Amino acid sequence: MAWEHILTEILLWFGLYSIVAISLNIEYGYAGIPNFGRALAVLIGAIAVGGITNRILIAIFNVTGSFAVASGIVKTTVNEIVANNPIFGISLMLISLVIAGILGVIVGAIFILPSAKLSEDYLAITLLAISEVAFMVSYYNPEIIGGYYGVSTPDFFAFVSGEYRVFVFMGVILFVALIVYLFAERLLNTPYGRILKAMRENEDVVKSYGRDIMFLRIKTVAIGSGIASLAGALYSMFTANVIASSFSRVEWTFYPFLMILLGGLGNNRGVLMGVLAFVVAKVLLTTYKYEIRAALNLPFEAVWLEYILFGVVAILILYYKPEGLIKEKPIVTKPIRERKSFK
Amino acid sequence: MTVVEGAIIYANLVVLLAMGLTLTYITTAVPNFAQGSFAVFGSYVALTLLRLFKIHPYHSIPVCFMFGGLLGVLTYVTILRPLIKKEASIVTLMIATLAWDLILLGVMGAYSEYLSHVTKKPAIKYIFTPYDFTLLGFPAILFFSSLTILITLLGLFILLYKTKFGVALRASMENPDLAEIMGINVEHTRLFSWFLSGSLSGMAGCLLPFKQEIVPGTGAIIIVTIFAASIVGGLSSVVGALLGGYIVGISESLITYELSLIFGAEVLVYSKVVSLIILVVTLLIIPKGLVSLRWRKWLGSIS
Repeated sequence: MAWEHILTEILLWFGLYSIVAISLNIEYGYAGIPNFGRALAVLIGAIAVGGITNRILIAIFNVTGSFAVASGIVKTTVNEIVANNPIFGISLMLISLVIAGILGVIVGAIFILPSAKLSEDYLAITLLAISEVAFMVSYYNPEIIGGYYGVSTPDFFAFVSGEYRVFVFMGVILFVALIVYLFAERLLNTPYGRILKAMRENEDVVKSYGRDIMFLRIKTVAIGSGIASLAGALYSMFTANVIASSFSRVEWTFYPFLMILLGGLGNNRGVLMGVLAFVVAKVLLTTYKYEIRAALNLPFEAVWLEYILFGVVAILILYYKPEGLIKEKPIVTKPIRERKSFK
Repeated sequence: MTVVEGAIIYANLVVLLAMGLTLTYITTAVPNFAQGSFAVFGSYVALTLLRLFKIHPYHSIPVCFMFGGLLGVLTYVTILRPLIKKEASIVTLMIATLAWDLILLGVMGAYSEYLSHVTKKPAIKYIFTPYDFTLLGFPAILFFSSLTILITLLGLFILLYKTKFGVALRASMENPDLAEIMGINVEHTRLFSWFLSGSLSGMAGCLLPFKQEIVPGTGAIIIVTIFAASIVGGLSSVVGALLGGYIVGISESLITYELSLIFGAEVLVYSKVVSLIILVVTLLIIPKGLVSLRWRKWLGSIS
């Protein structure tokens, strides 16, 4: 396969996974909340596009018929309009992203509620269970986002000709990832960001300063879920076809954990490196899966090999390099910077 | 198989898995996210014996017990013990079990394709129901799963309360540091709890295909039920796991069935929602589970 194709694929996934990994880094890396249900927020982003924007469009264009059929008709209608009217497409994209973000924040805040007071092991179990059940329901129920059949969504960039579409999307996704990165960096160096790290190190100290741990947890997971939801929305817009099965725990909870462990917890630059390393490995494995299978003479699909490989890598990192590629650095606040410049 | 029979069979298996999860949680303080895959591992051991050696799954329960136990020990020795020695945090250990779960999924997925390639029979998706028979008018799995529970409970009771090792085991579960001072090797008790956890799950896995279809990824789905059962019981009590297992297992089947009578058969696929609701309600009302309730005080006030 052509190298340009591989490169675009890498950049595209780098952008998507950066958004998710940074959101998880805010929750787990900064605040120490082990969100084993990250996949839920990404799924919510997909629901925002496939389930909500789609329905709004169906209502606007007054299309009748079952959800799956109506989505197909709306797709054609909207694509035709967008092809001649780029502003319509771009505003649709922005609206979808806003809906995804808001919905992500709300769902994130609700989904941590039952476990916001609990210790981290209970927390992790509950978040994983909720996320797993939400995945199952949206897979079995064709009314939400088409279930196992999936649902097609309009192409908001229908005005771009087919061969350049992937590049435009790559640009948009990387741009959103950049904003998320800058936001996370700024967030870390605010009183709120510092209290998160304090909470990670010692909850009792934070409590003794009069901060409410439960509220901090809810706020953090809400922010993190809002961000991760953007990735789900962008991914759905790119594929223009939402299928619940592509929002599995392995792809959107375990892999992001692997990336932030690889890069370095609590450190966004490290996380980006972790994402890049992971994505390169993953894209190469996916692209050359048939070649790998043939070369190693495997009597099974290469995807199982991928699972084993990434599982082993995660355990090796935990054991040999728990601090990741780049170690977390102390936060440089304004007074510290000034004192440094005096010396 | 009637609905009630199915519910009891399912609950029996959930109890085995929840007790397995609780045992290792007590000794190692880490919830094992790979517990579901332990069960699927047992299912594949049974399937292999059936396909290659024509051994009926009921006869392979002891083999599943042994292999499951070995898997448990392997998990502890290769994945968790090195990390615990480096004083890794609980979250690190949890991520490690999550990674181990993915490795097991990969191994079983690869193995299932290999097995179906070798035997030319389905191994990626299979069910044992055709191999079951009727006993006294009931499906045999009802007796076998109940018998497995009875033997397990009897064995556990004798082990924990009638042997010296059991006393040491209970002591190191209650207070590992104190037990260590008294000369008990906590390492042995941990190793043993992992063996037991794996073997109980192995047996449950051996019987699970009589109740539902198995795919390599089944573990990721049943883990919700296992966690719900253990948390309802209190996560750190074997008796709690027994109670929680029956409550969650039976209500998952029966409530879903009742709902399907009202809303139609398509509700049946959402059985895990019931488990999740029980889990969430428990966390909101009694976060430490059923065993944390002061039953004696309650009963005292009634009588």
